[in-house]
Amino acid sequence: MTRHIALCILLICVVTLILPHTLEACPACKNLNEPIARGFNWSVLFMMSMPFTVFGVIGGSVFYYYRRAHNKVKT
Amino acid sequence: MMAQTEFEMTENRPLSNAKLAVLILLGSETMLFSGLIGAFLVFRMGNVTWPPLSHADIELPRIVTGFNTLLLIISGFTMFHALRSIQQNRIILFRILLIGTGLLGLIFLSIQGYEWSQLIKNGLTLQSSVYGAIFYVLIGCHAVHVLGAVIWLVIVICMAFSGRFSSDRHIGVETCTIYWIYVVALWPILYFLVYFA
Repeated sequence: MTRHIALCILLICVVTLILPHTLEACPACKNLNEPIARGFNWSVLFMMSMPFTVFGVIGGSVFYYYRRAHNKVKT
Repeated sequence: MMAQTEFEMTENRPLSNAKLAVLILLGSETMLFSGLIGAFLVFRMGNVTWPPLSHADIELPRIVTGFNTLLLIISGFTMFHALRSIQQNRIILFRILLIGTGLLGLIFLSIQGYEWSQLIKNGLTLQSSVYGAIFYVLIGCHAVHVLGAVIWLVIVICMAFSGRFSSDRHIGVETCTIYWIYVVALWPILYFLVYFA
Protein backbone atom coordinates (compact mmCIF):
# COMPACT_ATOMS: atom_id res chain seq x y z
CA MET A 1 0.00 0.00 0.00
CA THR A 2 2.73 2.45 0.99
CA ARG A 3 4.67 1.43 -2.14
CA HIS A 4 1.62 2.25 -4.29
CA ILE A 5 1.24 5.71 -2.77
CA ALA A 6 4.96 6.41 -3.19
CA LEU A 7 4.75 5.23 -6.79
CA CYS A 8 1.79 7.52 -7.47
CA ILE A 9 3.60 10.53 -5.98
CA LEU A 10 6.70 9.70 -8.04
CA LEU A 11 4.57 9.43 -11.17
CA ILE A 12 2.91 12.81 -10.52
CA CYS A 13 6.35 14.39 -9.96
CA VAL A 14 7.69 12.93 -13.22
CA VAL A 15 4.64 14.08 -15.22
CA THR A 16 4.90 17.59 -13.68
CA LEU A 17 8.58 17.77 -14.64
CA ILE A 18 7.98 16.47 -18.18
CA LEU A 19 5.24 19.03 -18.92
CA PRO A 20 6.68 22.39 -17.83
CA HIS A 21 4.17 24.56 -19.71
CA THR A 22 3.77 28.19 -18.73
CA LEU A 23 0.18 28.89 -17.78
CA GLU A 24 -1.58 32.25 -17.78
CA ALA A 25 -2.98 33.14 -14.38
CA CYS A 26 -5.94 34.89 -16.01
CA PRO A 27 -7.05 34.49 -19.63
CA ALA A 28 -8.22 38.11 -19.76
CA CYS A 29 -4.75 39.45 -18.90
CA LYS A 30 -2.95 37.53 -21.66
CA ASN A 31 -2.41 40.55 -23.84
CA LEU A 32 -2.27 43.54 -21.55
CA ASN A 33 -2.16 46.07 -24.36
CA GLU A 34 -5.43 44.96 -25.89
CA PRO A 35 -8.40 47.29 -25.29
CA ILE A 36 -10.45 44.63 -23.50
CA ALA A 37 -7.60 43.95 -21.05
CA ARG A 38 -7.28 47.67 -20.33
CA GLY A 39 -11.03 47.78 -19.79
CA PHE A 40 -10.79 44.94 -17.29
CA ASN A 41 -7.87 46.64 -15.52
CA TRP A 42 -9.66 49.96 -15.09
CA SER A 43 -12.84 48.20 -14.06
CA VAL A 44 -11.03 46.14 -11.42
CA LEU A 45 -9.21 49.20 -10.09
CA PHE A 46 -12.46 51.17 -9.94
CA MET A 47 -14.36 48.42 -8.14
CA MET A 48 -11.45 47.82 -5.76
CA SER A 49 -11.61 51.45 -4.64
CA MET A 50 -15.34 51.36 -3.94
CA PRO A 51 -15.44 49.41 -0.62
CA PHE A 52 -12.89 51.87 0.83
CA THR A 53 -14.95 54.81 -0.45
CA VAL A 54 -18.21 53.40 0.94
CA PHE A 55 -16.79 52.53 4.37
CA GLY A 56 -14.91 55.84 4.44
CA VAL A 57 -18.06 57.86 3.74
CA ILE A 58 -20.21 55.93 6.25
CA GLY A 59 -17.47 56.08 8.90
CA GLY A 60 -16.86 59.77 8.16
CA SER A 61 -20.57 60.53 8.48
CA VAL A 62 -20.83 58.73 11.83
CA PHE A 63 -17.75 60.62 13.04
CA TYR A 64 -19.17 63.94 11.79
CA TYR A 65 -22.57 63.46 13.49
CA TYR A 66 -21.02 62.49 16.83
CA ARG A 67 -18.46 65.32 16.68
CA ARG A 68 -21.21 67.83 15.94
CA ALA A 69 -23.33 66.54 18.84
CA HIS A 70 -20.29 66.67 21.14
CA ASN A 71 -19.55 70.27 20.15
CA LYS A 72 -23.22 71.21 20.69
CA VAL A 73 -23.13 69.80 24.24
CA LYS A 74 -19.89 71.74 24.94
CA THR A 75 -21.37 75.07 23.85
CA MET B 1 -47.04 57.53 25.42
CA MET B 2 -44.03 55.45 26.43
CA ALA B 3 -43.35 54.44 22.82
CA GLN B 4 -43.40 58.06 21.71
CA THR B 5 -40.89 59.05 24.38
CA GLU B 6 -38.61 56.25 23.27
CA PHE B 7 -38.98 57.39 19.66
CA GLU B 8 -38.08 60.94 20.60
CA MET B 9 -35.07 59.64 22.52
CA THR B 10 -33.78 57.74 19.48
CA GLU B 11 -34.47 60.76 17.27
CA ASN B 12 -32.33 62.96 19.50
CA ARG B 13 -29.27 60.73 19.22
CA PRO B 14 -26.32 62.19 17.28
CA LEU B 15 -26.99 59.66 14.53
CA SER B 16 -30.44 58.11 14.63
CA ASN B 17 -31.05 54.49 13.65
CA ALA B 18 -33.07 55.62 10.63
CA LYS B 19 -30.21 57.79 9.31
CA LEU B 20 -27.68 55.01 9.87
CA ALA B 21 -29.97 52.57 8.03
CA VAL B 22 -30.23 54.96 5.08
CA LEU B 23 -26.43 55.37 5.01
CA ILE B 24 -25.99 51.59 4.91
CA LEU B 25 -28.65 51.33 2.19
CA LEU B 26 -26.79 53.94 0.15
CA GLY B 27 -23.55 52.03 0.67
CA SER B 28 -25.13 48.93 -0.87
CA GLU B 29 -26.60 51.05 -3.69
CA THR B 30 -23.12 52.43 -4.36
CA MET B 31 -21.76 48.89 -4.65
CA LEU B 32 -24.55 48.00 -7.09
CA PHE B 33 -23.85 51.01 -9.29
CA SER B 34 -20.08 50.54 -9.11
CA GLY B 35 -20.59 46.98 -10.42
CA LEU B 36 -22.65 48.34 -13.32
CA ILE B 37 -20.13 51.13 -14.01
CA GLY B 38 -17.36 48.52 -13.89
CA ALA B 39 -19.20 46.48 -16.55
CA PHE B 40 -19.65 49.64 -18.62
CA LEU B 41 -15.91 50.39 -18.41
CA VAL B 42 -15.08 46.89 -19.68
CA PHE B 43 -17.41 47.23 -22.68
CA ARG B 44 -16.51 50.86 -23.41
CA MET B 45 -12.74 50.37 -23.26
CA GLY B 46 -12.95 46.98 -24.93
CA ASN B 47 -14.47 48.53 -28.05
CA VAL B 48 -12.38 50.93 -30.10
CA THR B 49 -15.49 52.33 -31.80
CA TRP B 50 -18.27 53.38 -29.45
CA PRO B 51 -21.14 53.11 -30.22
CA PRO B 52 -20.34 49.91 -32.12
CA LEU B 53 -20.58 50.00 -35.93
CA SER B 54 -23.96 48.22 -35.79
CA HIS B 55 -25.37 51.28 -33.97
CA ALA B 56 -23.28 53.99 -35.63
CA ASP B 57 -26.42 55.81 -36.84
CA ILE B 58 -27.92 56.08 -33.35
CA GLU B 59 -27.20 59.28 -31.48
CA LEU B 60 -28.10 59.61 -27.83
CA PRO B 61 -30.16 62.75 -27.01
CA ARG B 62 -27.45 64.63 -25.15
CA ILE B 63 -29.05 68.10 -25.10
CA VAL B 64 -32.47 66.97 -23.88
CA THR B 65 -30.82 64.77 -21.26
CA GLY B 66 -28.61 67.72 -20.27
CA PHE B 67 -31.78 69.75 -19.66
CA ASN B 68 -33.18 66.80 -17.73
CA THR B 69 -29.99 66.70 -15.63
CA LEU B 70 -30.48 70.37 -14.80
CA LEU B 71 -34.06 69.68 -13.65
CA LEU B 72 -32.87 66.87 -11.38
CA ILE B 73 -30.13 69.06 -9.88
CA ILE B 74 -32.72 71.79 -9.19
CA SER B 75 -34.90 69.16 -7.49
CA GLY B 76 -31.93 68.38 -5.21
CA PHE B 77 -31.82 72.05 -4.16
CA THR B 78 -35.58 72.23 -3.58
CA MET B 79 -35.43 69.07 -1.45
CA PHE B 80 -32.54 70.46 0.58
CA HIS B 81 -34.44 73.72 1.16
CA ALA B 82 -37.56 71.74 2.11
CA LEU B 83 -35.53 70.15 4.90
CA ARG B 84 -34.17 73.55 5.94
CA SER B 85 -37.70 75.02 6.02
CA ILE B 86 -39.11 72.25 8.25
CA GLN B 87 -36.12 72.74 10.58
CA GLN B 88 -37.18 76.42 10.81
CA ASN B 89 -40.85 75.39 11.23
CA ARG B 90 -41.97 77.10 7.99
CA ILE B 91 -44.64 74.54 7.20
CA ILE B 92 -46.24 76.16 4.11
CA LEU B 93 -42.92 76.67 2.35
CA PHE B 94 -41.93 73.12 3.33
CA ARG B 95 -45.03 71.66 1.68
CA ILE B 96 -44.62 73.78 -1.48
CA LEU B 97 -40.96 72.74 -1.85
CA LEU B 98 -41.82 69.06 -1.34
CA ILE B 99 -44.48 69.21 -4.07
CA GLY B 100 -42.06 71.08 -6.35
CA THR B 101 -39.42 68.41 -5.82
CA GLY B 102 -41.89 65.64 -6.58
CA LEU B 103 -43.02 67.37 -9.77
CA LEU B 104 -39.43 67.85 -10.95
CA GLY B 105 -38.77 64.15 -10.31
CA LEU B 106 -41.87 63.19 -12.31
CA ILE B 107 -40.87 65.50 -15.20
CA PHE B 108 -37.40 63.89 -15.20
CA LEU B 109 -38.94 60.42 -15.43
CA SER B 110 -41.40 61.48 -18.14
CA ILE B 111 -38.69 63.00 -20.35
CA GLN B 112 -36.54 59.93 -19.87
CA GLY B 113 -39.44 57.66 -20.76
CA TYR B 114 -40.09 59.66 -23.94
CA GLU B 115 -36.37 59.47 -24.88
CA TRP B 116 -36.39 55.71 -24.39
CA SER B 117 -39.44 55.30 -26.61
CA GLN B 118 -37.63 57.26 -29.36
CA LEU B 119 -34.47 55.17 -28.99
CA ILE B 120 -36.46 51.92 -29.12
CA LYS B 121 -38.17 53.20 -32.29
CA ASN B 122 -34.71 53.83 -33.78
CA GLY B 123 -33.70 50.23 -33.08
CA LEU B 124 -31.72 50.52 -29.85
CA THR B 125 -33.17 47.82 -27.61
CA LEU B 126 -31.96 45.74 -24.70
CA GLN B 127 -31.30 42.80 -27.03
CA SER B 128 -29.93 44.72 -30.03
CA SER B 129 -26.31 44.79 -28.80
CA VAL B 130 -24.12 45.09 -25.74
CA TYR B 131 -24.32 48.88 -26.27
CA GLY B 132 -28.10 48.82 -25.88
CA ALA B 133 -27.92 46.36 -22.98
CA ILE B 134 -25.48 48.38 -20.88
CA PHE B 135 -27.28 51.65 -21.72
CA TYR B 136 -30.70 50.41 -20.63
CA VAL B 137 -29.43 48.53 -17.58
CA LEU B 138 -27.35 51.44 -16.25
CA ILE B 139 -29.78 54.26 -17.01
CA GLY B 140 -32.80 52.08 -16.23
CA CYS B 141 -31.39 51.14 -12.83
CA HIS B 142 -31.04 54.83 -12.01
CA ALA B 143 -34.56 55.56 -13.29
CA VAL B 144 -35.94 52.85 -10.97
CA HIS B 145 -34.14 54.59 -8.10
CA VAL B 146 -35.66 57.94 -9.06
CA LEU B 147 -39.08 56.26 -9.17
CA GLY B 148 -38.43 54.79 -5.71
CA ALA B 149 -37.41 58.23 -4.45
CA VAL B 150 -40.59 59.78 -5.91
CA ILE B 151 -42.76 57.13 -4.19
CA TRP B 152 -40.93 57.79 -0.91
CA LEU B 153 -41.45 61.53 -1.44
CA VAL B 154 -45.19 61.06 -2.05
CA ILE B 155 -45.41 59.28 1.32
CA VAL B 156 -43.50 62.17 2.95
CA ILE B 157 -45.84 64.70 1.27
CA CYS B 158 -48.90 62.83 2.62
CA MET B 159 -47.36 62.83 6.10
CA ALA B 160 -46.50 66.54 5.75
CA PHE B 161 -50.11 67.39 4.88
CA SER B 162 -51.39 65.39 7.86
CA GLY B 163 -49.14 67.47 10.14
CA ARG B 164 -46.74 64.72 11.15
CA PHE B 165 -43.60 66.85 10.88
CA SER B 166 -42.34 69.80 12.91
CA SER B 167 -39.02 71.51 13.61
CA ASP B 168 -38.39 69.00 16.43
CA ARG B 169 -39.64 65.92 14.64
CA HIS B 170 -38.63 65.46 11.01
CA ILE B 171 -36.45 62.35 10.75
CA GLY B 172 -38.65 61.07 7.90
CA VAL B 173 -37.87 64.19 5.86
CA GLU B 174 -34.16 63.95 6.66
CA THR B 175 -33.83 60.34 5.49
CA CYS B 176 -35.83 61.06 2.34
CA THR B 177 -33.60 64.09 1.64
CA ILE B 178 -30.43 62.00 2.03
CA TYR B 179 -31.77 59.42 -0.43
CA TRP B 180 -33.01 62.04 -2.90
CA ILE B 181 -29.70 63.93 -2.90
CA TYR B 182 -27.83 60.64 -3.42
CA VAL B 183 -29.97 59.84 -6.48
CA VAL B 184 -29.47 63.40 -7.79
CA ALA B 185 -25.68 63.34 -7.23
CA LEU B 186 -25.35 59.98 -8.95
CA TRP B 187 -27.06 61.09 -12.16
CA PRO B 188 -24.44 63.57 -13.55
CA ILE B 189 -21.76 60.84 -13.18
CA LEU B 190 -23.88 58.37 -15.16
CA TYR B 191 -24.88 61.04 -17.68
CA PHE B 192 -21.30 62.02 -18.56
CA LEU B 193 -20.15 58.40 -18.51
CA VAL B 194 -22.87 56.98 -20.76
CA TYR B 195 -23.64 59.96 -23.03
CA PHE B 196 -20.15 61.41 -23.52
CA ALA B 197 -17.58 58.63 -22.89
